[in-house]
Amino acid sequence: MSDTTAGKLTDRDDTEVSPVRQELSDRERQIRFEAEVLPMLDRLYSAALRYTRDPTDAEDLVQETIVKAFRSFHQYRPGTNLKAWLYRILHTTYISMYRKKQRRPQESFQDDIDDFSFYDEVARSGTGSAEREVLEALTADEVKQALADLPESFRMAVYLADVEGFAYKEIAEIMETPVGTVMSRLHRGRKALQKALASYARTRGLIDGPLEGEQEAP
Amino acid sequence: MSEPSDQQQRFDAAAACGSDCEEALERLEAYLDGELPETDVREIASHLTACYPCTDRATFEEQLRSIVRRDCVDDAPASLVDRIRGHLSDLPTA
Repeated sequence: MSDTTAGKLTDRDDTEVSPVRQELSDRERQIRFEAEVLPMLDRLYSAALRYTRDPTDAEDLVQETIVKAFRSFHQYRPGTNLKAWLYRILHTTYISMYRKKQRRPQESFQDDIDDFSFYDEVARSGTGSAEREVLEALTADEVKQALADLPESFRMAVYLADVEGFAYKEIAEIMETPVGTVMSRLHRGRKALQKALASYARTRGLIDGPLEGEQEAP
Repeated sequence: MSEPSDQQQRFDAAAACGSDCEEALERLEAYLDGELPETDVREIASHLTACYPCTDRATFEEQLRSIVRRDCVDDAPASLVDRIRGHLSDLPTA
């Protein structure tokens, strides 16, 4: 992948790729920033809320991200991925603002998480619900909560992939982690999310039976 | 209580899947993520066309992603948007 990027850079005219807009006036730069970045505020806030899990903190995080992005907007190269660039800033800003405060506990799941399958839980359930019915019956609050309950690195990998549609490589850049780590976080994060959703579905009587890996009531 | 036999049949079919299924399901996640090379994509797509249990499973995984995509988004509060707009006009540029 990096080859093609390098190829592109050399193919193009130098003026096109020089860190941009130094030639722009402050006013011009501000107008472009507003036009290109402000339409993404909803998405950024949504991501910030996944990071912080607190609306006030999420607002602070977005505001700080925007300030940083604006200050370094002259370094942004047009034609490259603006959205990924902003999320990268959001990620580093989150770490500098919040992660210091709370030492992260070891993030892990039970060893059997890889074997969990929501699909199988529904299929073997005797309630006769179709898979689609079960998924559609879950409320937005339940789905939000299930995601919010995942440990941070898994939560954000799942969010960046499934909600934002970033590619593995982009997520790796945003989270500053190897692609292999992204793939494993995504896999385990999705499994854990499925397990949480299956647990909601069972509580609501949409599926029956004990969940795999859970203790049956004595 | 509705008839569970249809569900049970489908589950048994999935459980009885052959090695082709196993191979396809192993790569299903990357396939749905659009992260597989073209040859693998063709292989899996053709397996899915021929295999109902795997298609059913793939559809479920896709639906699951789509409810996450639909439910895990929030709009920025209007006050935040206003505050940021105001802020930008005051900011010194680097």
